[in-house]
Amino acid sequence: MSTATIVVAVFSLVLAALLALLMIPVLVWLERRVAGLVQDRLGPNRTNVGGFRLGGVVQSFADVIKLVLKGEYYPSHIKMGRWLFMLAPAITFAMALLAFMVIPFADNIVVDGESLRIQALPIESGILWYMAIGAVGIIGIVFGGWLSHNKYSLIGAVRAGAQMIGYELPLGLSVIAIVLTYNTIDFNVMVQWQSGTVLGFLPAWGIIVQPLAAVIFIITLFVETNRAPFSVAEGESEIVAGYMTEYTAMKFAMYFMGEYVAMNTASAVIITMFFGGYQLPWVSTQFLLEHFSIFALVMMPLIPLVVYFVIKWMRKNNRVRETVSTDGGRLFETKVLTIALIAMTVIIELILVYLALQPVGAFSTSIAVTLFQVVIFVVKLMVFNLFFILVRWTLPRFRYDQVQKMGWHYLLPLSLLNIFITALIVVGVS
Amino acid sequence: MLENSIFAILALFLLFGSLGMISFKQTVFSGLSFLLAMMALAGLFALLENSFLFLAQIMVSVGAVVVISLLVMLSVNVNEQNLPNEPAKFRWMLFSAILVSPFALLMYKSLTHMNREFVETVAGYGSLKMMGATLFSDWVLPFEIVSVLLLTAMVGAIIIARKEPANDA
Repeated sequence: MSTATIVVAVFSLVLAALLALLMIPVLVWLERRVAGLVQDRLGPNRTNVGGFRLGGVVQSFADVIKLVLKGEYYPSHIKMGRWLFMLAPAITFAMALLAFMVIPFADNIVVDGESLRIQALPIESGILWYMAIGAVGIIGIVFGGWLSHNKYSLIGAVRAGAQMIGYELPLGLSVIAIVLTYNTIDFNVMVQWQSGTVLGFLPAWGIIVQPLAAVIFIITLFVETNRAPFSVAEGESEIVAGYMTEYTAMKFAMYFMGEYVAMNTASAVIITMFFGGYQLPWVSTQFLLEHFSIFALVMMPLIPLVVYFVIKWMRKNNRVRETVSTDGGRLFETKVLTIALIAMTVIIELILVYLALQPVGAFSTSIAVTLFQVVIFVVKLMVFNLFFILVRWTLPRFRYDQVQKMGWHYLLPLSLLNIFITALIVVGVS
Repeated sequence: MLENSIFAILALFLLFGSLGMISFKQTVFSGLSFLLAMMALAGLFALLENSFLFLAQIMVSVGAVVVISLLVMLSVNVNEQNLPNEPAKFRWMLFSAILVSPFALLMYKSLTHMNREFVETVAGYGSLKMMGATLFSDWVLPFEIVSVLLLTAMVGAIIIARKEPANDA
């Protein structure tokens, strides 16, 4: 094992862990602020550490501290299997986290003629891994609801299980159509496939090549992650909190965070399979490697422009009452963040100048391309997470029988039809 | 050595999981033991470096079979009082274990006298492509027969479970 292999493996693992775990507070904050936006109010924005609010993200950390310090409460009617009652949320959380580990964050980097994957778990059967491990997470929900010995929990667990079984079939069948199209189960090869064009000008993204499969896949992933409008397993208007009713403190937080990790993983899988993953449309990794100096020159004026507008927006919005002296903390925060943003821009500009002067095919260029792709991946991931959140606060929850009917009566036949059409076209083309 | 110890741990999990599934009185723990046994079996496939079988085992056995069994247990929701009283359960188990011990000896003898030269794995062993090619070339007839068998079982189950039309309708 060479040094490069170890460095790349550690880098991918740390990146995956950070993207999965650090995304939780950000997503919780984003959920509340977007809910506020949709409902025409502000959402949490006051909590701060030494005047730094960061738009309210600090609130999520305050919530975590609150949940850790809360007293552990066990319902006294839970006689046997208390350890399994405690273990159940951990199963759900761990499986959601494990499923995230096969997402490629950038194209393979070539070091000394060795192609290394930027993937925490460098295996080839990416989509199989996601479907297998994602399906195990439901076990934690079923055990949790069962051991709570509470009718609401029991109903929640049964709903979660039945809903998952009903939607696992359309999910698997739509994946079959996608695999037929891409001719691979490797996430990274799927992304590479999507770097071309269809009809001459459209990017060959999965959503354009396989629109029906994409719609079915996205709907089933909403169900798999238990997100609204399919959150019947925890439908608080009907069954209190479903399988989470008897859970408190950190045990509840495990379920809660597991849901966000699962949502993040689902977004990552969707963009990898249907939205070109870590790639810009029309731009393949090979092209990027060969013409990176042009990209550097294009980005050099763009980055200051974007940063200028961000700073302008922040200076306008990050203030409350100018005459009140206790509100001055926000001005201080704005000043510090402005300096930080300008310093960051200067450093990036210097790096870009250095890279633009490098010869084609230099090792530093390939590192820069990898980092560039990681940034694109994270931006796409955030956009899709925002989509998940917006859908939750826009659509009302389905009734349970509507959920089941949609899965069995509409999505299942549609995905079968899609396989049929895809197979005909694939055979006809080849 | 590492391989052997991993195999031993997984085999223990498989053994005790299967035993626990039939011997626990509380259905929760039966379900958990079933889950453990299936996971251990998947682990054994992974130990053979067959990544496809490993993932398929988790996807089908854990994701579908165990979840459906758990759902059935949940909806039946057996009370412990309603279960038959078996005071001498473990004595019966011991007795039956003694009864089948000659077969165990036979298994041991036949397995230890087997040909110990195993076929070398070729490149791409355990990958999805190779599994698919083998399944749809050399084994296509058994594959189709099994799928017809499963279809027949499903149709039969649906017919048995179907509600009779009401007489007064």
